[in-house]
Amino acid sequence: MSTEVEVQEGDLAEMVEQVWQAYLDPEGINPLIPTYDENQASEVHSSVSISGSWSGHVVYASSMTAARRAAAAFLAMEPEEVSHEDLSDVLGELANIVGGNVKAMLPSGAFLSLPQVVLAPASATRYPNAERIAGIYGLWDGEPVSFSMWQSRSDNKEENA
Amino acid sequence: MKILIADDSRVMRQIVVRTLRQAGFGDHDLVEAADGKQALEMTKSETPDLVISDWNMPELTGIEVLRELRAGGNNVKFGFVTSECTPEMMQQAESAGSLFFIVKPFSAERFDEVFAPILG
Repeated sequence: MSTEVEVQEGDLAEMVEQVWQAYLDPEGINPLIPTYDENQASEVHSSVSISGSWSGHVVYASSMTAARRAAAAFLAMEPEEVSHEDLSDVLGELANIVGGNVKAMLPSGAFLSLPQVVLAPASATRYPNAERIAGIYGLWDGEPVSFSMWQSRSDNKEENA
Repeated sequence: MKILIADDSRVMRQIVVRTLRQAGFGDHDLVEAADGKQALEMTKSETPDLVISDWNMPELTGIEVLRELRAGGNNVKFGFVTSECTPEMMQQAESAGSLFFIVKPFSAERFDEVFAPILG
């Protein structure tokens, strides 16, 4: 029997909205505006993997400008002051927060990896035998940002059979 | 009071510090640990009054740190700030002697609610 995916796109959207409320747009003036464009461009990305009761990946991707802006918001500094280290720490944390929230909705026995950060477009990383099952794609102050969930096919091979 | 903040993410340690300040607890002595092993060592050497720990950390996870402390007879006030929160984790934390469980992303109001009774 395949593992039921208990996290729907609406759940992912809610988690992302919470991140905006808490850290990226606490005043509610700059929300992530949905584009539903799963092919939108990116320049950096980060991910965490989940294994166990469900196997897959949670991926953040955005333009460099959006990443700098996110780092500046997280660290309460100006985007020009953001260092390379700040950037990768914040990108890792974005994937970790949403990945952790996803994990909390999965059946027990799921394990979360430490985050991985890649300063290259999201298309530079492949997730073998995994397919995208949900994604939130939008523009944040005109810059592309996305969160997506990829499920390993070993979990859903019956659906693909 | 001395508070130890244990998180492998420098950004998250910084956000915890900032949120503690926003919630009115910035006057306490704040020290930081960057992984589970360091958290364990610093809890012993720095003798904080409170440990605020991430769950998922390199070297030792937060729950392993808590269990080691309790096994060694250390009863420091200890709780978790983590992006992961399953009923199993909360149960494990509670039975290991954790006082609180705060889920990321969190607000200053949530910190106030949890820490006001602990820090006074």
